[in-house]
Amino acid sequence: MAISQADGTERPGAARHRLEVAHLSKTFGPARVLRDIQLAVAPGELHGLVGQNGCGKSTLVKILTGVYTPDPGGSVVVDGRRLRTPVQPMEQREMGVSVVHQNLGLVDDHTVWENVRLGRYQARGPFRKINSRAERDAVAAVLARLGRTIDVTAPAGTLGAEDRATVAIARAMQDHRPGGGLIIFDESTRALGKTARGRFFELVRSLIDGGASVLLISHQLEEIVEATDRVTVLRDGQVVETGIPTRDIDEAGLTRLMLGRHLVSHSRVDSHARDEAAASVRGLSVGQVRGLDLTVKHGEIVGLTGLMGSGFEELAEALGGARRAQSGDLTVGGRTLSLSARRASTEHFVRAGVGYLPERRLDEGLAAEMTVAENMTLPRVRTKGSRLRTGRAWQAEEASTMIAKLDIKPPRADAPVGTLSGGNQQKVVLAKWLAGTPNLLVLREPTQAVDVGARHDIIDAIRAAAKAGCGVLVASIDAADLAVLCDRVLVFRNGAVTGELSGELDQDSIIHATFGVPQDEKAQEERWAG
Amino acid sequence: MDAARQEQRETPGAASPEPPEPPAAPAAKPPPRLDVRHVASRYAVIGVWVIMIVIYWIAEPGVFMTGSTFTSIFTGQYALVFMTMALLCTIIVGEFVDLSVPSVFGFAATIVPVLVTNHHWGVWPAAIVAVIGAIACGAVNAVLVVVLGVNTIVVTLGMGTLLTGLALWMSDLNTVVLQPSGFEKIGTFTIGGLYISFYYGIAGVLAFAYVLGFTPLGRHMRFVGASREVSRLSGVRVNRIRFGSYVAAGAISGVGAVITVATLGSYSAESSDSYLLPVFAAVFLGTAVIHPGRFNPIGTWIGVYFLFTGILGLEDLGLQQWVSDVFYGGALVVAVTISTLLRRRST
Repeated sequence: MAISQADGTERPGAARHRLEVAHLSKTFGPARVLRDIQLAVAPGELHGLVGQNGCGKSTLVKILTGVYTPDPGGSVVVDGRRLRTPVQPMEQREMGVSVVHQNLGLVDDHTVWENVRLGRYQARGPFRKINSRAERDAVAAVLARLGRTIDVTAPAGTLGAEDRATVAIARAMQDHRPGGGLIIFDESTRALGKTARGRFFELVRSLIDGGASVLLISHQLEEIVEATDRVTVLRDGQVVETGIPTRDIDEAGLTRLMLGRHLVSHSRVDSHARDEAAASVRGLSVGQVRGLDLTVKHGEIVGLTGLMGSGFEELAEALGGARRAQSGDLTVGGRTLSLSARRASTEHFVRAGVGYLPERRLDEGLAAEMTVAENMTLPRVRTKGSRLRTGRAWQAEEASTMIAKLDIKPPRADAPVGTLSGGNQQKVVLAKWLAGTPNLLVLREPTQAVDVGARHDIIDAIRAAAKAGCGVLVASIDAADLAVLCDRVLVFRNGAVTGELSGELDQDSIIHATFGVPQDEKAQEERWAG
Repeated sequence: MDAARQEQRETPGAASPEPPEPPAAPAAKPPPRLDVRHVASRYAVIGVWVIMIVIYWIAEPGVFMTGSTFTSIFTGQYALVFMTMALLCTIIVGEFVDLSVPSVFGFAATIVPVLVTNHHWGVWPAAIVAVIGAIACGAVNAVLVVVLGVNTIVVTLGMGTLLTGLALWMSDLNTVVLQPSGFEKIGTFTIGGLYISFYYGIAGVLAFAYVLGFTPLGRHMRFVGASREVSRLSGVRVNRIRFGSYVAAGAISGVGAVITVATLGSYSAESSDSYLLPVFAAVFLGTAVIHPGRFNPIGTWIGVYFLFTGILGLEDLGLQQWVSDVFYGGALVVAVTISTLLRRRST
């Protein structure tokens, strides 16, 4: 499904690239993080850019947006015009180059039109008043070009994920001349669900139909293969292959190029579930979820999924101790914890052997300025140390064991966690709980925004924990993760479990159960049809 | 582990280029190496301190490098040492910033001579009441900030002004003198030419550094300062630690006040406000010493004496009293800038 207008081949003799990057390098101190980058994006092309965490993708985007100055010798050419380096934002805007960043960059308590026009407000009259009517009309016109109707006076924070993405795209493309322009999407699809992602690519298609070019940076190899026309692969700061037509390559091939080796994809392994319950939940009401009962056996991995906002997220937060429920009890490690009690910390959960891996690792999982070892050992520093001494030996042992087990790089226990790449940070959060041999692990999006290699390590570690007897709950919208990890998957809709999948799981059945017609409605339809 | 993974781990690949990472080393035993930049960032302030002393020595031969200068540098700053430790208690757990520390100190320091001289109390009961009073002030701050969630700056600014006012009222705007009764020995006993108050300061600083560096309580305090949510979700009782920090700050101020009054033999409530800037300057300067980018007791202690050395040298050169405002104010801005840059580099 290549959606671009480009034909996927170089046009001989025609040097008319929308974007042409040549011999671009970047050095930070002793580290050369980009080396002789070559990249060409044709007009009307959707070009993918992939690579592991830390391969240099973000640095390249930061050079293209003027945040970093490249080393001398490289060039960035847009529509035949060589840009000055560091790239000047005004010149970049003039040439129609814009970026939609990972977090979309919206100010939640400001309206849609204020967000879109930020930095471009037109003032008039002696008091330099913003002509808000004209600004609103301009924004409505851009949104109309995108084929979306959004209330331009609504605060951005009240919009759903797709509309937020649309607003960010509208901001990026408002200065584009028809038939030109380049939009760089830097992991912008990360927060979108499957439906929203489908609509996102419809939007991209309309941009391309209008003659724009798109450079799409993504960890989702599936969408790169399906949606883009050509792809460029970065590894260790260098271009491995550039401009490969995606019709000639599949996900496995891309993975090989990204990693420089074959990576045997995960397949299901035998369940380690035993008969005894590791944790049981009784009468849990939280958010939309009402009166849920759930038992997780020792060694069992249970998936929780559904549409965003269907309740499985709140359920995981309540079981991890991060959110107070309206009612319910959790029995784990021989203790019964009230899930509705007011509590200042998750201390009782930790003592009962509950480990919680939150969704936002740098806000909830790790203190960036503290070291790898300090972060890993935090939950046990009171119980394993004495009141007067934390004790160094057990900390050093835990840290070195976990660094080796999860292949954390750099393998330094004393490195501040903030200096690690995203995938390695995620491994540290997981290690923080695995080192305590938990009875129940509650994981939210455990492989979110990590590269293929880190995902492999994380999945291996979760399986090893289950094999050792830990009950695991994986709350995720990632069907691929759920399919390879889980013994069974509970699908949520409007706070209720509408489906339970078990046995041989595959992505398609999980996606179908999540996005398809609920089983009871389906049965009803079948009865009527009959 | 399958063969492919094995191959991956054994492949001698280039270090991941972004972000720039230090070279890999075994987790348990990093090889010994001399990182000049690291050493320089840890000890630069101490180096500047030494250079400053040498410059003053050359500029003021026979004046600066004398026993009396040495004594006045190291005997005079004990009050500041206690106040900086009190401020550190809350600043380490992420409470930004407790402006009431000098006032709590002054309040407790005024209670002792007022009760003893004006109300004829025994000196020890008066000292105990002063410490309890300071602890109570810390507890009130804690209730307002931690329990009720009122803005820290507003609460501590208000409490500070209120307590200074109360101290001025108690002392009737006078310097209240404590009659010699042997009590002063707890501060003026001399060891190696220096008052014992100086050694109390050192003992307090070392004890605080030990708690922060080696005990679970200290680890929890630093994590709460780094991220409350991460700490809460890791089983740390965040609010208990925050509350305890305010109370501990009050206790340290109270004990410091009693020792100060014993050493000085009197206290003027009006002097409390003049401590505010030096306290902050020293605490922030401390982030550039020993543990760059991190508030720490030993760095703060060095900051206190570094700043006073600078001022004393300039005053010996003939500059007027205003130089202390310029020096402390300038040092605070420089120190906060250094602290911000070091923190940014560490994350």
